[in-house]
Amino acid sequence: MNRSFAGWAGLLFFSTSSLIAGAPAFAKNDLVLAIGGEPDTGYDPLLGWGRYGHPLFQSTLLRRDADLNTVPDLATEWKLSDDRLVWTVTLRPGVVFSDGTPLTAEDVAFTFNEAASAGGALDLTVMEKAEAVDDLTVRIELKRPWVTFSENFYSLGIVPSDSYGQGYARNPVGSGPYRLVSWTEGEQLIVEANPDYYGPKSQFERLTFVFTGEDAGLAAARAGQVDMVSVPALMADDMIDGFKRLQVMSVDNRGLTFPMQEPGEVNAQGEAVGNAVTSDPAIRRAINLGVDREQLVEVVLNGFGRPAAGPADGMPWSNADAAVTYAPDEARAMLDAAGWLVGDDGFRAKDGVKAGFKIYYPASDAVRQALTVVVAEQLKALGINAQPTGASWEQIERFAHQEPVMLGWGSHSPLEVYSLYNSDWGGVGFYNPGYFSDAVVDAHLADAQQAATLEASYPHWQAAEWDGETGFSARGLAGWAWLVNLDHIYFTNECLDIGKTQIEPHGHGWPITTMIDQWAWTCD
Amino acid sequence: MAELGERQTLEPLILPRMDNRVRSFAAAAVCLFLILLIPVAALMAGSAGVAPDFTARLVPPDWAHWFGTDQMGRDMFARTAKALTTSLWVGLFASACSVLIAVVMVLVSAASGRWMDALVSLAIDATIGLPHLVLLILICFALGGGPFAVTLALALTHWPRLARILRAEVMQIKQADYIISARHFGKSWAAIAVGHVLPQLVPQMLVGFVLMVPHAILHEASLTFLGFGLEPTSPAIGVMLADSMRYLTAGKWWLGLFPGLCLLLFVLCFDAVGNGLRLIFDPRTAQT
Repeated sequence: MNRSFAGWAGLLFFSTSSLIAGAPAFAKNDLVLAIGGEPDTGYDPLLGWGRYGHPLFQSTLLRRDADLNTVPDLATEWKLSDDRLVWTVTLRPGVVFSDGTPLTAEDVAFTFNEAASAGGALDLTVMEKAEAVDDLTVRIELKRPWVTFSENFYSLGIVPSDSYGQGYARNPVGSGPYRLVSWTEGEQLIVEANPDYYGPKSQFERLTFVFTGEDAGLAAARAGQVDMVSVPALMADDMIDGFKRLQVMSVDNRGLTFPMQEPGEVNAQGEAVGNAVTSDPAIRRAINLGVDREQLVEVVLNGFGRPAAGPADGMPWSNADAAVTYAPDEARAMLDAAGWLVGDDGFRAKDGVKAGFKIYYPASDAVRQALTVVVAEQLKALGINAQPTGASWEQIERFAHQEPVMLGWGSHSPLEVYSLYNSDWGGVGFYNPGYFSDAVVDAHLADAQQAATLEASYPHWQAAEWDGETGFSARGLAGWAWLVNLDHIYFTNECLDIGKTQIEPHGHGWPITTMIDQWAWTCD
Repeated sequence: MAELGERQTLEPLILPRMDNRVRSFAAAAVCLFLILLIPVAALMAGSAGVAPDFTARLVPPDWAHWFGTDQMGRDMFARTAKALTTSLWVGLFASACSVLIAVVMVLVSAASGRWMDALVSLAIDATIGLPHLVLLILICFALGGGPFAVTLALALTHWPRLARILRAEVMQIKQADYIISARHFGKSWAAIAVGHVLPQLVPQMLVGFVLMVPHAILHEASLTFLGFGLEPTSPAIGVMLADSMRYLTAGKWWLGLFPGLCLLLFVLCFDAVGNGLRLIFDPRTAQT
């Protein structure tokens, strides 16, 4: 009797416990992510936070969905005047910051005006002023028509005008889906769901971002300590039990800059400008034709990437006609025709000038180093003597106007194309270090910026790349040799479903958070 | 009888010392041979180890590639030999410069008065007091890396220990009767330092030099590993070890194992030569 009672009791216990274990109430609601992305300047949108990926703590006027279509966020309506000089944005009512204060047009105007005067990573120089018309309407005036100004609607997180000030970057207050719990610099960031968030609630109450190196992140994933880790392409074959591999396409590109001028000039900073070899269009075109991009993807990226033809491959403003195919014989013939003849040492020369240059790359970046080494090897076959030279960013800055550099870009906005190839941007940062300058390309770029809508501007961007006669692409003036687009690899827990992802911009890691509100835990 | 007895009891004590000396010679000779073999191997390898072969990437060790190949398809055996040759040159030059600095400082302090000696002591203490690697990194960073910067940084940081030993030796020698006699005969301290002190220092210098080489080589490798030393594209043990880290978790064990082991053996060989020399020169172990 007793024994049978014990048996029944045991059965009951196991069945209830298994029922409890199967209940969705016990689904995981916290995540640990090792995807890097720690900002140097803190979580202040005015200093560039949120430019790539989700700003988490703040929300933006507009967002892009997985297919990069525009969807409203804080804004419910947005309109550009007929003269293309005034944006009128209507805000969603009832939004509050995480400190309880309401978000009004005043805050939006404040954010835009502050960002313009802060001169941070965002380009607001074209803005005249932003002002609140009423509680929910903002009026933004531009100095001149500038279609890419709307990019700021996607990337500038709105900050509260009342409490913004010193120390904001460490204690951000915003209207985003999460609020900051703690940030230990160089170690981890802990955030929890913002109960006042107006959008759909995320399934995850608490997120912990651990800022470790690649090795430590992978080791933590192996030990089951993290749910997602960003993985360099070289380690992407090394799968971990319980994890799936997520291969996200990107426009995160790598390419070679070419100094366009003849040597001899000096810029305002006193740095030498120009290169006797790369100033010859034949050299630049031949390099573009003679570099085997498929091999670069295979050798350097372990197959996790795709050859690059331009700075924005696959984006609606890039021109598919501008791509060139690998043709080493054609490249050699082009060099012969231009008078670059092969000497006894196997390298070409013309009028006593040897076809050689250094290729600078940041010594701390293994992928760029490998790319440089392989490209240099491929150029040998063309008779061009390229010397891979590792250096710090500070050193590279000094030499970037006189020697090619292995740089990387990739953005969701055509503004980047403008910055890379417009004459005005010559020598500004690493955008146009080679001083690319061409009147026809400038005109196409100006037309693009004058367009009524972003969609209407696309043909102009495409024409700047290749208009049938000239352009900045390899078929035209070959201002750069774009080489590869990286695939961003993440190992995620098999139970974590992050849904459809965007084609990612520059920066491997944080951009994956863009669609974080759709992430779900699929296991019990 | 008593003498004979003493001799008999002494014999076993002398023999091992003799043996020790012969053994040291033999070990030193073998090591020297191995050390000299590496530059020859590196020369014979030609472009192998430097030229990539994209069709043979990350091949495990086999008969064609004894140490396997790396991510660019470069032969790791040739690459290791080339790296060790660079290490050898950097180590030899840096150590020679270090010894030179140490000797010059010690002789100057011997030839000059107490003030100079105090100054040299201060320089020794100050340099020893600073962490070695930090100083190396600072100098290399300031000079922008490369073989010259590494050699100079090593030379500027490795002299104090030897200088301290030499200084103690000099203080002892200065008390010797023949030095005092020379002084009485009116010889200047400078002449005494060069003519009488320097020859006495040669054994210490030689041992110090040989023992400093492996130390310098290890430091060159660590500097390069940290990214402050030789060019990241050049064949260097530090570069190879740093690169291999990325592939260890992917099971490419040969990338780190062979260069690491070779560096270890190389350094141990030098150590054996140095220790052998020390045993031979040291009166307590070398008398027969």
